[in-house]
Amino acid sequence: MKSQRNVRSLLLGLIVSASAWACPAAEGARDGSITLPPVLNAMQVELDRSFAALSKGDPAAYFISYTVSDRNYAEVSGSNGALLSSSEDRARWLEVQTRVGGYHLDDTHKIADRQPSWSSPGTTVSLDDDLAVLRREVWRETDRQYRAASQALIKVKTSQQVQVQTAEGAAPDFSAEAPHVSIGQRVDLHVDRKPWEERVRRYTAEFSKSPYTLNSIVTFTALGMNQYQTDTEGAKIAFGEVHYRLELFVQSKAPDGMDIQRYANFDWLDPKEAPDDQTVSGAVQRLIHETEALDQAPLADPYAGPTLLTGRAAAVFFHEVFGHRVEGFRQKDISEGQTFTSKIGEQIMPDFISIKDDPTEKALNGQMLLGYYPFDDEGVAGTNTLLVDRGVLKTFLMSRSPLRDVPHSNGHGRRQLGFTPVARQGNLIVSSSNGMPFSELRQKLIDMVKQEHLPYGLLIDDIEGGFTFTGRGQPQAFQVTPLVVYRVFADGRPDQLVRGVNIVGTPLVSLSKIVGTSDKQEIFNGYCGAESGSVPVSAVAPAVLISEMEFAKKETSTDRPPILPPPAHDPQAKGQQP
Amino acid sequence: MKNFAPAASLALLAALLLTAPTFAKRAAPRKNADDHPLSIPAGDNDQTLRAMRDELERARTRLVIPGVDKPFYIEYRLIDVDLRTVTASFGALLASSTTRSRQMVVDVRVGNYHLDSSNFLSEDGFQGFLGRTGQVGIDRDYHSLRQDLWLATDQAYKEAVTQMSLKQAFLRSLTKPPEIDDFAQAQPVVRVDPRGEPDWTSRKWEEEARLASAALKNFPQLYGTRVTYSLLYTTTYRMTSEGTLIRESHHIAGIEAGMDTEAEDGMPLRNFYAYYSLDPSGLPDAASVAKGLTEAASDLSAERDAALVPDYTGPVLFDAPAAAQTLAQVLEPSLSGARPPLATTNEFEEFLDRYGGRSEWTGRVNTRVLPTSVSLIDDPTAKDFGGTPLLGRYDLDAEGVPGQRVSVVENGLLKNLLMSRRPGPDFYASNGHARSAMLSDPQPLSSNLFFQSSSALSPADLHKKFMDACKDDGHEWCLEVRRMADPALSALQSEDFSEFVGEMAGGFGNGMRMPLLVYRVYVTDGHKEPVRGGILDALTLRSLRNMLAIGNDSTVYTYMQNAADALAGTALGSFGSIQNGIPSTIISPSILLDDVEVRGFHGEPRRLPLVPPPPLE
Repeated sequence: MKSQRNVRSLLLGLIVSASAWACPAAEGARDGSITLPPVLNAMQVELDRSFAALSKGDPAAYFISYTVSDRNYAEVSGSNGALLSSSEDRARWLEVQTRVGGYHLDDTHKIADRQPSWSSPGTTVSLDDDLAVLRREVWRETDRQYRAASQALIKVKTSQQVQVQTAEGAAPDFSAEAPHVSIGQRVDLHVDRKPWEERVRRYTAEFSKSPYTLNSIVTFTALGMNQYQTDTEGAKIAFGEVHYRLELFVQSKAPDGMDIQRYANFDWLDPKEAPDDQTVSGAVQRLIHETEALDQAPLADPYAGPTLLTGRAAAVFFHEVFGHRVEGFRQKDISEGQTFTSKIGEQIMPDFISIKDDPTEKALNGQMLLGYYPFDDEGVAGTNTLLVDRGVLKTFLMSRSPLRDVPHSNGHGRRQLGFTPVARQGNLIVSSSNGMPFSELRQKLIDMVKQEHLPYGLLIDDIEGGFTFTGRGQPQAFQVTPLVVYRVFADGRPDQLVRGVNIVGTPLVSLSKIVGTSDKQEIFNGYCGAESGSVPVSAVAPAVLISEMEFAKKETSTDRPPILPPPAHDPQAKGQQP
Repeated sequence: MKNFAPAASLALLAALLLTAPTFAKRAAPRKNADDHPLSIPAGDNDQTLRAMRDELERARTRLVIPGVDKPFYIEYRLIDVDLRTVTASFGALLASSTTRSRQMVVDVRVGNYHLDSSNFLSEDGFQGFLGRTGQVGIDRDYHSLRQDLWLATDQAYKEAVTQMSLKQAFLRSLTKPPEIDDFAQAQPVVRVDPRGEPDWTSRKWEEEARLASAALKNFPQLYGTRVTYSLLYTTTYRMTSEGTLIRESHHIAGIEAGMDTEAEDGMPLRNFYAYYSLDPSGLPDAASVAKGLTEAASDLSAERDAALVPDYTGPVLFDAPAAAQTLAQVLEPSLSGARPPLATTNEFEEFLDRYGGRSEWTGRVNTRVLPTSVSLIDDPTAKDFGGTPLLGRYDLDAEGVPGQRVSVVENGLLKNLLMSRRPGPDFYASNGHARSAMLSDPQPLSSNLFFQSSSALSPADLHKKFMDACKDDGHEWCLEVRRMADPALSALQSEDFSEFVGEMAGGFGNGMRMPLLVYRVYVTDGHKEPVRGGILDALTLRSLRNMLAIGNDSTVYTYMQNAADALAGTALGSFGSIQNGIPSTIISPSILLDDVEVRGFHGEPRRLPLVPPPPLE
């Protein structure tokens, strides 16, 4: 009993400090008269019943949370002029977290270099608001998670006795946070798929007109998500979001076998903001043009020298080389490289650069930001977090897995359905106090190239998110794949498109070598895949000029282009028309 | 075209078996495209066959890498899938969806009938960028399909060329390369059926699922339930460079339900209910389903309170459904006469052993393999048995060969095996038993399997024989198995079945079998008591050579053979479901076996949930 009382007093202390620190006190929390939606009500009833018993169990549960994601999803996909699929689906997905032990040490504690077990795939629950059936599913999943947590805690305690603990391993396993009570509007999705079926057919048929196109896929998706969360600290949250997306993708192969692919996407929240036909057709034509140009472009040579990244490319660059490395959980994990772990308060990039992650922004300059969310997947409000202030590292992106020096979440605990939340990016926004028009930045590139007696510098216009190696076992290097690269010549010749390079190098060095930025930010909306699955993110940055960047040749496919020409572009083919 | 996700590593069975061979037919080179008469009914706007014909013709005549073999066999397979599924639990809807998709598989071979690029598993191989399989457009249009077939054919050809050179190198390393042909020859078949259109309106799917599953609210001791109604329409297309051209439509409807709970000592217990019909109108109404579910739930509830079965060796009576399930597990791996593929590693062999996939009947023709009174026939042409429709029926098998009645065992002697176009050591030609679902690799499997005895006993005589045997052995009671477990149907989540395959399945190679409903029958007065926790051990084909007695109560057991490449044809192959399964039946009587080993439960009891289940009303 003694230890339990200690846990409770610790919990109270943490809540007080938490509300003072970051989270606005929940207004509705003291008001017991709010009406809960039926799903949340079933969750709450079962939560109270389970916690009453499990908090007295052996081992005792000290925290339980339930999340139900009610997901209505429509997808229309086409390829090469025909429909691939058109469907609409609705499912409710329950995730249960049952923590045993205490905030300081619980069943989720990471044991040495062992990968944490993702024990929470969750389960589907009733689509009908049937209280009894919902409760039954919640009960069942709670029991399953409690059993798993009980076993995990035994392993954790054993390892504590036999293994040396690291400094960050001494940080608590979980942070108490002030609970939010917020019942938002339910959203409903109403999509007429027919017009989109016609549009995806038309756009992919347009791609097929080019003999360079091997394959094209266009996908329209609409997602209506209502999320319900409740936990034993008192959080009761319901909110809904609708998101529409159109993606264009085209694949080709250069004569030497190198795979060429181009991609574009549109995101919007209000059906009225859907891109019109002309806009999308324009993008299709641009991708076709880029594909054809890339097919014929010469291979780039290895290069080290001044490099200019356009805003979109710079945004992905920051997301990959900086954003992933300031995710809090990586600072705790001894198998991680921990590039920035001990650098809080230190200058890590030029003083004209500041970076924040602000999931509370829905749009920037009228353009949607995909990394917006009101509450993260641990029930903490998304918080505007200043990560780098005039070049100096201030803090990390935090979930409820605290660090010694950063004891609370800043609302970045995120996950894809079925994964355990960890600290992830939302809207990563890079700003510069020293921006200049892009044309000046470009001239600066040319000046540097001349100074270094190089024939050309490189301009990166589009980057595909590469895979950032953050683990210690791998070199502390990043590799991101530039998709559209131009040589910018010192002698004033027109820019030349090249293909087949990867950026290589070490992140700390490249960040410190930023020598200039443009005065206009650009937005990249996408899905980022990492430990807790794929989550929607934005990255925003101005164009940046880096004094030295290193490029290596890209590993190319040995698969030769198809032997026969495309059937629709084969002069010898007969029987074309049925 | 969307890619299938590439296999992460070659190490695993799935990867090995995905490349398992399909078999080509006799090449009868055709002069021009008109050799494929497309007898498509007027008003049918399906452009699929035209696109297939034109692209196949282009590939057949012009696809070649200079200095390398031309393809000698090209095969296109496509499937249109329209699927409606509705799942309910305790009267509430869990999921409801209708989907439509089309998949393509292209096979290209180089070489000749005796030695070709197929039938070979290797760790290396051609890595293409789009592959020879994938999801393609559902519009049944001409241009998009040609584009997809063009790329897939190109990839398949490059894959075949790579495989052929690896295979030849491997053969040179063997002291005695196998002499069996890679391909058997068969007559090309042309058959274009009218295309079936899905009709979802024949039943009130959601309402019936809710209604039927609500019956289980009377069993609050059940932890969880899932009742799934499925209706599946498929149209398959098949075209080969030999001249085969087929379009066939099929449909099947089913109700599959799983339920689980725990005994007082924490032992997990499960039961299932399944009903299949080719036509949705053949499914029982909600009230009848509710009755079936109630019966299954009552049995499961009785299991909760049943005593644990101790270790036991002695006579075991398998009631007809349990006998059918057991025969499916024990016989299926040995029915196939095809030889396994050549492999550069022994992983394939290890896999066969692990999942009980190895044939024990190879090289045993004309020897006694079952009791002398027994005959075993597989008959895909049989329509019904005693008025019950046989769902394993088909005209053409998955390689386009007409299905034939095969007398496998006569008077206990092995006479024949089920053959696809992959020859084996005992038989060469196909007898129309290549089976597949959702474009899985066709392999020889049973269809409607009849297990018959010329000296069968009435139920009363069988029971007497059972009790006599029990007495003779000095037992106070003996065991009767009413039904065997089916983890594919009783699992509430698909991961539960994967977990089962990962953890338990290895035992099946050594003859482990899992009974579901077991009773001990007392010698004194014949009364029965349910028992739980027993597992049958070492129940292999050898156990079936001699039987104490066979009943005259043959019944039809309908089930879905699992078409997953790693499981089909193994002891686990009988665990399938409508969405990945091959409709099959076994017509079997009750059988009485002697000296069956039963292992009682020896594990540690699990603790029950700390929180009791919430009320259901």
